[in-house]
Amino acid sequence: MAAMKTRTSSFSRNISGAPTSPIPGLKYGPNGTIFVSSGISDLDKILGGGYPLGSLVVVMEDSEAPHHMLLLRNFMSQGLIHKQPLLYASPSSDPRAFLGTLPSPLSSKDDRSRDRDAEQEKGLRIAWQYKKYFGDEQKVEGRGDGKLEYCNDFDLRKPLERYFFSGQSIDCISLHDNPSLYTFRDRCSAFLAQLPRYDGKITSAGRIAIQSFCSPQCEFSNMEWGMLSFIRYLKSMVRSSNAVAVLTFPHSLVSPSFSKRLQHLADTLLSVRAIQDEDKELAKLLTGYQDMVGLLNIHKVPVILDATTFSMKLQKRRSLVLECLNQAPVDCSSGTSYATSGSCSGSSTSGTLDF
Amino acid sequence: MAESVSRALRDGALDGEHAPALAIKDSGDSPFGLAVFSHVLTQLASNVLAGKSQSRFVVLDCYTDPLGWKERLMECGSITNSSPKVSVNTSLCKDIRDLDKLFSLILQQGKGFLGEGKSRFSVAIDSEPGLSGRKAHGGGSLCLIDERADLDLMSNLSLGKVSEMLRHTSTSSVAGLISNLRSHNLVSCVFWLLHSDFHEIRVAAALEYLSSMLASIEQMTRPNDVPRDNSQNISLLEHNYRRGKFHVRFKRRNGRVRVMSEEFQVEQSRIKFMSVSSEDGTIAQSLVPKVQFNLQLSEKEKVDRAKVVLPFEHQGNGRSIDIYDGRRSLNDGKSDTMPASSEKVQTNEDSGRGEIIYFRDSDDEMPDSDEDPDDDLDI
Repeated sequence: MAAMKTRTSSFSRNISGAPTSPIPGLKYGPNGTIFVSSGISDLDKILGGGYPLGSLVVVMEDSEAPHHMLLLRNFMSQGLIHKQPLLYASPSSDPRAFLGTLPSPLSSKDDRSRDRDAEQEKGLRIAWQYKKYFGDEQKVEGRGDGKLEYCNDFDLRKPLERYFFSGQSIDCISLHDNPSLYTFRDRCSAFLAQLPRYDGKITSAGRIAIQSFCSPQCEFSNMEWGMLSFIRYLKSMVRSSNAVAVLTFPHSLVSPSFSKRLQHLADTLLSVRAIQDEDKELAKLLTGYQDMVGLLNIHKVPVILDATTFSMKLQKRRSLVLECLNQAPVDCSSGTSYATSGSCSGSSTSGTLDF
Repeated sequence: MAESVSRALRDGALDGEHAPALAIKDSGDSPFGLAVFSHVLTQLASNVLAGKSQSRFVVLDCYTDPLGWKERLMECGSITNSSPKVSVNTSLCKDIRDLDKLFSLILQQGKGFLGEGKSRFSVAIDSEPGLSGRKAHGGGSLCLIDERADLDLMSNLSLGKVSEMLRHTSTSSVAGLISNLRSHNLVSCVFWLLHSDFHEIRVAAALEYLSSMLASIEQMTRPNDVPRDNSQNISLLEHNYRRGKFHVRFKRRNGRVRVMSEEFQVEQSRIKFMSVSSEDGTIAQSLVPKVQFNLQLSEKEKVDRAKVVLPFEHQGNGRSIDIYDGRRSLNDGKSDTMPASSEKVQTNEDSGRGEIIYFRDSDDEMPDSDEDPDDDLDI
């Protein structure tokens, strides 16, 4: 059978796609949502396009691992590259210093396209019934030069260049210096007042990054209701403006009821977990354990997910990738049987892993 | 491992990063936190005096010095390195409640000794309630031990009984003090002792959050013996009381957590660490048995594998496509007379090959079900 390229039926697919936004850094999604990139392309894919504009993203930290900083760094760098105004708050007394650790985007010369490598044969012959129907597929190559991408890959070892910082509206707030949350709240509302949401045109989108909100060195950290009312206020302000707020908090340091309330306030809820070094049981259970630095769980998100646990790996020690957890081949002589889907048995230290 | 802990404290902080912080946690069951703390402190001090550590000198802040740290450190100094002078200075810190003042006092004392250069200093704060009748919360003293070597080093900081400090001030200010010290570029490392029984879980969790190494001291698991005579029992208990388990969780920079554990034994004036004994029984991992198959391919096997033609590979080659039809035609196997309610499978042993003769469930059954789905396999 010769390969037929033209269709004879009366149905033809409309491949016009979603309207590309004239503003770099924003992507239009279904139901009128507008997405802003998280800075990590895998996370954007998992979340269905990115962080929706007007939402509050909450990341639950693990007190033993700094992975929430990776998420925040990518988020902030992506905003700076797209020239989006940024507000950053942290409990340290010098938050500006953190800006020096933001990663720089990988240049296009580097091998960004992991996907293409995986599809190449690498000496593997595959017997496929329908191979004879396909000619060579041309991948869409090349974008216009100078056009900004929606989501960049970041090199975590290289700091962001200076010219991204110049002329930018970057607000840094130290939570340590503010004994009460009122001043912080006023600064947030002033920031968000620049980005009001009207029906119709958007000029720009803003990003708010709050790191370690309930950290013990802040004096308001034991005023739980105060913190909750602040976050509720922030959520309502963000909803009526063109901004995304990402907030991380150490959930083990606050009372469980507070933690639950905060989790319910979030529009998107993620959590990061540390993994133990040289854990033999985990190494037997998962492939690629050596490269993993942590686990990312997705708890609440407005899409349907196949899996909710992903492993965080640093590819070539510089860019963050998220991968689905893959179960390692079962050792036949071990005797325990594994179910084909769902949680796995036999390992008490791994906690809940969802495949 | 106590060695790696001491090494981590000795190496100190890199530029631009927070100083490593060790939290020592003990409980009523195994109250040897102070012994461990002193051990770490003496190790650090000896490293400082020997010039091996990043820090230049140790600043001690102790109320009444009930443990005799001053003497012990002097003694330690004289043993390891006698040539540089060891001078001990004290100054009083009146009120431990004002932690900001404490912080600035520490820095001031430290800077006073630094002179030029990139040196840093060590601070140890101990707040043991006074045994010799001084006011429990009023006094404190700073004790500086300086080693006048011309090395460009940083400083350590040891906060003693943080439990005492927490008694008087709020968690957030203690946490603020610790985080300020850690992020200060003159401080090399910080360590403190915390009694987990005295505080709420939240408070202990907050201090653990600020640390980069967590050392916890637990009692040995009780040997489940048959109860013997009282005297033997007591001596056994006493023997076990002096021993314990020392677990350390290191928070590594790449985000993984390394867990190590050791046993320790407290003797007259020192504490001895040893690796975990095998009689423990908790680490009864079975060795992974060898796989029973040979999964490697020899060279000949690899060549042969490359030669195999896969099922659909040759379809584009222009030869006509022959669909392998290995099954017999339908009519052979059907029995029209007897539509049985269930299928029966027979094999005919007489012919040299196996045959499967089956009966259809009913005549209404679609003829497609007779087809073998492997029909279009092209081998």
